[in-house]
Amino acid sequence: MLAVALSAASGGFAYFVPAAVLAFQDSGQGVAVRTPSPTSLLTPPASSSPAAPAQVGAFTVLLLGSDDDSKFSSDHVLTQSMILVRVIPSTKRVIMLSIPRDLYVPLSVGGTAKIDGAYSYGGPGAAIATVEQNFGVHVDDYIWVGLLGLIRLIDAIGGVDVVTSHPVMDDFYPADVFSSYAYDYQRVAVLAGAQHLDGIHAMQYVRSRHGDLQSDFGRSQRQQQVLLAIRQKAKQIKPEDIPSLATAIGSELKTSINVTRVGALLPLAGSLDDPNAITQIVLLPPYTHGGGPGDSIVPNWGLILPLVHQYFP
Amino acid sequence: MISRFILAVGLAILMVVTGTSSYVYLARHQSKLAVAPEKPTAATPRANAFTLPGTLYFAQGGAIYSLEAGRFHQLTPEQGWTQPSLFPNGTALLAVKQNAQYSDVYVLNTFGTVMRRITNNTTTSRFQSISDYHWSFYPRLSFDGGTVWMSYDQPKFGYDVVLSVWAMPVGGTIRQGKLWTNAADYTGGDAQPVPAPGGGIVYTKYSYGLDGTLSGQLWFTNRAYSAGRALTTPAEDCRDPAFSPSGTQVAMVCTYGKQLSELTIAPWSASTLGRRQTVISDQMVAQPVWAPDGSGLAYFAPGFADGPFQLWWLPSAAYTAPPPVPTPPATPGGPHNGPLPSPSAGPPPPSTARIEVTTNLGFDATSPMSWGA
Repeated sequence: MLAVALSAASGGFAYFVPAAVLAFQDSGQGVAVRTPSPTSLLTPPASSSPAAPAQVGAFTVLLLGSDDDSKFSSDHVLTQSMILVRVIPSTKRVIMLSIPRDLYVPLSVGGTAKIDGAYSYGGPGAAIATVEQNFGVHVDDYIWVGLLGLIRLIDAIGGVDVVTSHPVMDDFYPADVFSSYAYDYQRVAVLAGAQHLDGIHAMQYVRSRHGDLQSDFGRSQRQQQVLLAIRQKAKQIKPEDIPSLATAIGSELKTSINVTRVGALLPLAGSLDDPNAITQIVLLPPYTHGGGPGDSIVPNWGLILPLVHQYFP
Repeated sequence: MISRFILAVGLAILMVVTGTSSYVYLARHQSKLAVAPEKPTAATPRANAFTLPGTLYFAQGGAIYSLEAGRFHQLTPEQGWTQPSLFPNGTALLAVKQNAQYSDVYVLNTFGTVMRRITNNTTTSRFQSISDYHWSFYPRLSFDGGTVWMSYDQPKFGYDVVLSVWAMPVGGTIRQGKLWTNAADYTGGDAQPVPAPGGGIVYTKYSYGLDGTLSGQLWFTNRAYSAGRALTTPAEDCRDPAFSPSGTQVAMVCTYGKQLSELTIAPWSASTLGRRQTVISDQMVAQPVWAPDGSGLAYFAPGFADGPFQLWWLPSAAYTAPPPVPTPPATPGGPHNGPLPSPSAGPPPPSTARIEVTTNLGFDATSPMSWGA
């Protein structure tokens, strides 16, 4: 009997090997948060608004999405997308704050630059520290996904349903994912309306910014739409799906969340049902304005910090 | 000794079988999230399959299909074909063939054979740039069959690539075409023009509201390059207009800023849209189209939560008010003696339930359907 039980368990183990490999390689990664540099003196003053009351079991995750093509060396990529997500299980609330990639801030690794460079200079630790010290929030975990990872993830879950807000037309969309020349362009037309998007078209929808008057801000809104669609689809994921998802995504996903915690979070994702309990924040003007060095965006901390501390205590 | 050997071999076989079985069991219990949709022609219609009147044309996976008498027919190969639109006399189709960098409008016969290419959106420039290519989408023929309406990405300026509504003679070229709308910059532009009964066109204009929200609005215009008139508000966020066969109603989808698209109908009279009636509010509806005999509406929506888009049917009883129940005349004379007459059983009320016509397909929900008698 013992032998039969062991063989059954070994069959199950073999089934979950891809997930286990991913778990050991890319999840549960410790993050060294670097000591803030002297430039942290430039950190905006903490908000005088009262912090929100303690929320039992709440946690904050920094989602990072990157170029990871041949334009960059593998661990020195820019984060094209930075979304701070707070989940409050007790009230089933989710708050998503998109941080503009071009926001001009003091970096935790020293100097002042666009915030998308923090990951490039110091990995996830620097990205987290930069967000923490500028926005005055505590980040519990991070998830990093490469371009190809997002495409593969969406394809692995069978696509997502999205009501695209408008026709996304771009004559200068970077053709860097499946192209031999990473600096090439391609034309993109994602038509408007309710539709089922596969990985490539979802990526085009969230990544294109040239045809949007709001540029990166418009793109941030679309990223939040697709993120919510992925969360919606994730409700249907069963534990038996995890190996095929792990195989599909491969090394295109890195996170500090360990596998045990992922298991605990899956049912939580399914319980976050009420669209009215999801708050989406994009730091449009007057929270920010253009005209910073090198086409960067200048933060208006006097407005940003009270808003952030209202939702991210 | 031999018995021990046999026992060991038997145990080994049992272990292999058990291990393999547990692996296979787990693999079989995966969700079917990533199962690719079937081709419509792979489905075998049941003897009592639900059938729709006339012939319906739509796109899936880069091919155009027709559905007639409950049976699908593949009209074109899977080569980027989309957005079929039947000629008003039902003799041919306009359709778009989308390539990686451009798309063109073609005339096909109703069996899917290419008769003519009516736009040429590639570039012949010696020093070609990627911006020399163009997109044409949503072709529709005027009621008299002489004019092709479409969305076309001209003019465009650098990064500002927007669709505008154009009209061109069906036998001519785009050089003979005329720009009809002035699309708002950096919005995606003006899409899906539909000839309106009585003249002019209704189309979807994407623009920014005062609060910075980008949304769709139905607009009407009957003059080239005129501003036209908004038919819906930015807050309604409506698109995908379709006129009823009688020309007295418009079906559309409106999101009201949510990730749902509600099937909405409104009366159409004197180029004006009347009071909205939300017919379906719990699905992600796309591309409604009226049955040519007025018996109902077909539309695309996911078959299951977050799945690919299927074909749905909504009978007209679901959105038309039931006829008033006739009041029985008062019994003449005094009190009635004897048993009361029982009311005669009238015809059963017509069904108002929507029907999911397909279950495992994955239609192109950005491609309007076209329906011929």
